[in-house]
Amino acid sequence: MTASDPVAARADDVWKVYGSGEAEVIALRGVSVTFQRGVFTAIMGPSGSGKSTLMHCLAGLDSVTRGEVRIGETTVTGLGDAGLTRLRRDKVGFIFQQFNLLPTLSAKENILLPLAIAGRKPDDAWFDTVIRTVGLQDRLEHRPAQLSGGQQQRVACARALVARPEVIFADEPTGNLDSRSGADVLGFLRDSVRQHGQTIVMVTHDPVAASYADRVIFLADGAVVDELHDPSPDMVLDRMKKLDAPAEVER
Amino acid sequence: MLLLALRTFRDRWPVFVGAIVTVCLGVALVQSSLLTLVSAATAKVPPGLSAAEARATGDGYAAAITLLGMTLGLAFFVAIFVVSSTFAFTVAQRRRDLALLRMTGAGRGQVRTLLVGEALLLGIIGSALGIALGLPVMRLQGTMLTTFELAPPGFTGEWRSWIVYVSAGTGIGVAVLGVLTASRRASRVRPLEALRDLGGAARVMTASRWVIGLIFLAGSIALLILVPAVGGEAALPLSINATFTLVTAFALFAPLVVPVVAAPFGALFRGRLGVLAHANLRNGVRRSASTAAPIMVLVAFVVGMAGMTGTMSEAGRLETVRDLRADLVLDTPGSALDRVVGAPGVTAVSEEAPVSFDIAETGDPDGLEWESTSGIAVDPAAYAVTHRVAPTAGDVADLRGATIALTPSAASGFRVGDLVPVRLAGGPASLRVVALLPDTLVGPAALLPADLMPDGPRRYVVRTSDPAAAGAALAGVGQVSTTAQFIAEANSEQQKISTNIMVALLGMAMVYTVIAMINAVVIAASDRRAEFAAARVTGLTRGQVVAAALAESLAVVAIGVLLGAVSAIGTIFGMASAVRDMVGVGVVTVPWSMIGAVVVLATVVVGLTSVLTSLSATRTPAIRLVAARD
Repeated sequence: MTASDPVAARADDVWKVYGSGEAEVIALRGVSVTFQRGVFTAIMGPSGSGKSTLMHCLAGLDSVTRGEVRIGETTVTGLGDAGLTRLRRDKVGFIFQQFNLLPTLSAKENILLPLAIAGRKPDDAWFDTVIRTVGLQDRLEHRPAQLSGGQQQRVACARALVARPEVIFADEPTGNLDSRSGADVLGFLRDSVRQHGQTIVMVTHDPVAASYADRVIFLADGAVVDELHDPSPDMVLDRMKKLDAPAEVER
Repeated sequence: MLLLALRTFRDRWPVFVGAIVTVCLGVALVQSSLLTLVSAATAKVPPGLSAAEARATGDGYAAAITLLGMTLGLAFFVAIFVVSSTFAFTVAQRRRDLALLRMTGAGRGQVRTLLVGEALLLGIIGSALGIALGLPVMRLQGTMLTTFELAPPGFTGEWRSWIVYVSAGTGIGVAVLGVLTASRRASRVRPLEALRDLGGAARVMTASRWVIGLIFLAGSIALLILVPAVGGEAALPLSINATFTLVTAFALFAPLVVPVVAAPFGALFRGRLGVLAHANLRNGVRRSASTAAPIMVLVAFVVGMAGMTGTMSEAGRLETVRDLRADLVLDTPGSALDRVVGAPGVTAVSEEAPVSFDIAETGDPDGLEWESTSGIAVDPAAYAVTHRVAPTAGDVADLRGATIALTPSAASGFRVGDLVPVRLAGGPASLRVVALLPDTLVGPAALLPADLMPDGPRRYVVRTSDPAAAGAALAGVGQVSTTAQFIAEANSEQQKISTNIMVALLGMAMVYTVIAMINAVVIAASDRRAEFAAARVTGLTRGQVVAAALAESLAVVAIGVLLGAVSAIGTIFGMASAVRDMVGVGVVTVPWSMIGAVVVLATVVVGLTSVLTSLSATRTPAIRLVAARD
C-alpha cells in the first residue's frame, strides 16, 4: 500500500448468485464501485437490494460469483482462508448492528482484542485518542452486559478504530440504537474520517444516518442505481422514495 | 489469547466445571480399575493354606482378574465417551464467539490453540482431582469385590506411584483428544456466522460423522456375527465390546434420530408448549444428541448386561432341565453311597465328586501352561442313566483308570486318544481322552472316572419310584432336594452371582453416567438464558418455559433410551445366538424390569435437573436478559 494510492477498496463487475436452477437468487448484478481513501461512504437501498451482500463481499466475508474485489493493494477475490484471515486482521475493521462484543471480556479487552490476536502492541497515544473520541474513559473495565446499547456500540467503534484498518465496514451501526445514541456513534465515525483520514463504508437504510456520509450509493435489485455527494437527509429520503417502488423479497 | 481463555473460564464456569467433573470422575474410575486389576494380578496366595484352599484362592484371583479386565475396558470406554462428548458439546456451544474471533482476525490455528489450550487446562485440573478421588473409589471397589465374593477375602487394591502418570496421561489425553475433532470443526466456523444466528444446527451430520458411524456400525455387526463363532467364555467380553462399538455408532447417528423421536412428541404435547418443545428439539439437534449420549450408555450397558446374563442363566436352567434325568439330588459332606442305595424305591444313583485340577493348555511338554479346571468324577454307567449324555466323539463308558472326558472349554484342541498332561492331587500326571462332550453353561467342564474320586463332598443324583419316601429317608444323610427345587436353587444362586458381577462391573461406570447426565443437562441449559427470556417476553409464564424445557428433556430421555435399548438388544441377540450354538437352547431374556428401572432413573434425574436448571436460568427478570442480549 502506498499513501498516495487514493483508492481504499473497489469492486469490479461483482456478481453474487445464491443457489442454482429454480432457487437461483441473483443478489448482485455486476456492481462496480470505488471507495476513496478518507471518505465516509453510505450504501443505501431497500430491503433485499443487496447492500449487505455487497458489504460482505467487499470485506471478504463472502465469496463473489464473478468479478473482483480489492482492498488497498490486496486482491480479495481468490484469497484462501489464511489470506482472508490476514486481511481481516490487518486491513479491515467491522461494526455491526448487533454490536458483537465478546461478553466475557471487559470493554478495554474487547477494544484491544484485534491487536492482541494480531500480536501487535497497542499505540497508547492513539488508544487514548480513540477512547476520548468515543467517550468511554470511565467505562473501560465494564463488561458488555453492564453497558447500554449506545455504550456497547461505542466500544465496537473503538475496537474497529484502534487497529487503524484500511477500511471500516459498518453494517447498520445505528439500527439497534435510539436516535441520540445513534447520532453520537455517527458523529464519531464522521470525525474519525475528517480528523484521522479513516475510510468507512456503512450500510444503512436510515436517511438520517446516510446524511452523515460524504457520499451515498444507492442499490436496487443488486445494481448501483444512483449516487449522491454531501447529502442532506431530505435528499436521501427523496431518492429512496423513488427506489422503493418495486417490492423486494427479504433475503 | 491466554487472557481470553481465562476470561472465558470465569464466565462459562458451569460448562467448564461440568467438563472438569467428567474428567475427574473418568480418571478416578480408570485409575481405580487399573490399580485393582494390577493388585489382583500380582496378588500372592498367602502361605500356610492347604492345597485346596490355595487353589480356591488362586481361582478366586483369576476370576477377579477377568472381571476387572472387563471393568477397566468399560471404565476406559465410558470415560472417553463421556469426556469427548462433553468437550465436543462445549465447543459447539461457543460457535458464535468463535466466529466473532475469526471476524476480528483470528486465524484457524489460533482458534484451535485456544480450544486445545483450554482442554489442556481442564484436563490437568480434572486429572489432579481424579487422582485424589481415585483412592476412595479404589477402596470402595475392593470392598465391593470381597463383599460380593468375587475376590478372595482380604483383597484390597494397592497404590502404585506410576499410576499418577497413567492417570494424568489418561485425563489430559482424553480431554485433548475429545476437543481435537471438535476444534477442527470449530476452526472452520465461517466469520459470517457471527452475524447470522443460525449456528451449526443445520449441519450436524457431517460427512465424516457418517463415515465413522458406518464404520462402527459395520464393526459392531461383524463382532455380533463373531460372538456365536467364538462361543464359550469369550462370548461375554466380545458382546461387551460389541456394545462399545454399537453405542459409539448410535451416538454418531443420534442427530438423525432426534427429529424422528421429536415428531411423535410434537403430536403428544399439543398446544403452544408442545410446539415450542418440538421446535427446540429440532433446532437443538446437537444439544439433544449430547444430552442423550450418557443416557444411551447407561441403558445400553445396564440393559445389555442384564439381558446377556439373564439369557445365560435362563439357558443354563433350561440346559439342566433338559439334561438332568433324576428325581432327587442329595449333597453330603462325605461318601454315603450305601445309605443312598438303600433308600426306598431307588432305581439308580450317580455318585459325583467335584475334582479341581490343572490341565495343560498345549500339548508341548516343555512350555506347559496350566489352566485351572473343575470337573466331576463319576461312574459312567450310573451317570448315563441320570443325565443326558451326548458326546460329540468317543464314548463316556470308557471312563476307567487314567482317563478323562472333556468339553470344548477345557479341551483346547485335544482329540479322543490323546494324552492330556494334568496336575491332579494324588492322581497320574496325564490322562487319556476317551470322549469329547458338548459345550455346557452349567458345567462340569470335564468328567473323570470313579477311580480318581477324592475323599470329601459328594453329590448323589437319584432316580426313585417313591421320591417322597426316599427324600424323607435321605433327609438325615445330607441336604436333599427334588430336581425342581435343585434347579430353582441353582438358578437363583446363578442370578445372585450374575447380579453381583453386574454391580461390580457396571456400578461405578453407571454412577458416572448418571453424573454425566446431570452435567449434560446443566451445560445445555447454561447458554439458554437469553432463549428462555425471549420466550417469556413473548408471553410465556415462567412455569410454561420450565414446562416446555421439561417436555424437551423428556423427549431427550426417550431418544437416549431408544438408542441404548437398540444397542442392548443387538448384543442380547448376539449372546442368545452364541448360547444356542453352544448348548442348543434357544432363549432370549429381555430384562423388562431393568429397562423400567433405568427409564425411571433417567427420567427422574434428567427431569429434575432440567426443572432446577431452567428455574435457575429464568430467575432473572426476562426483560433484563433480553436487553443485555449482546
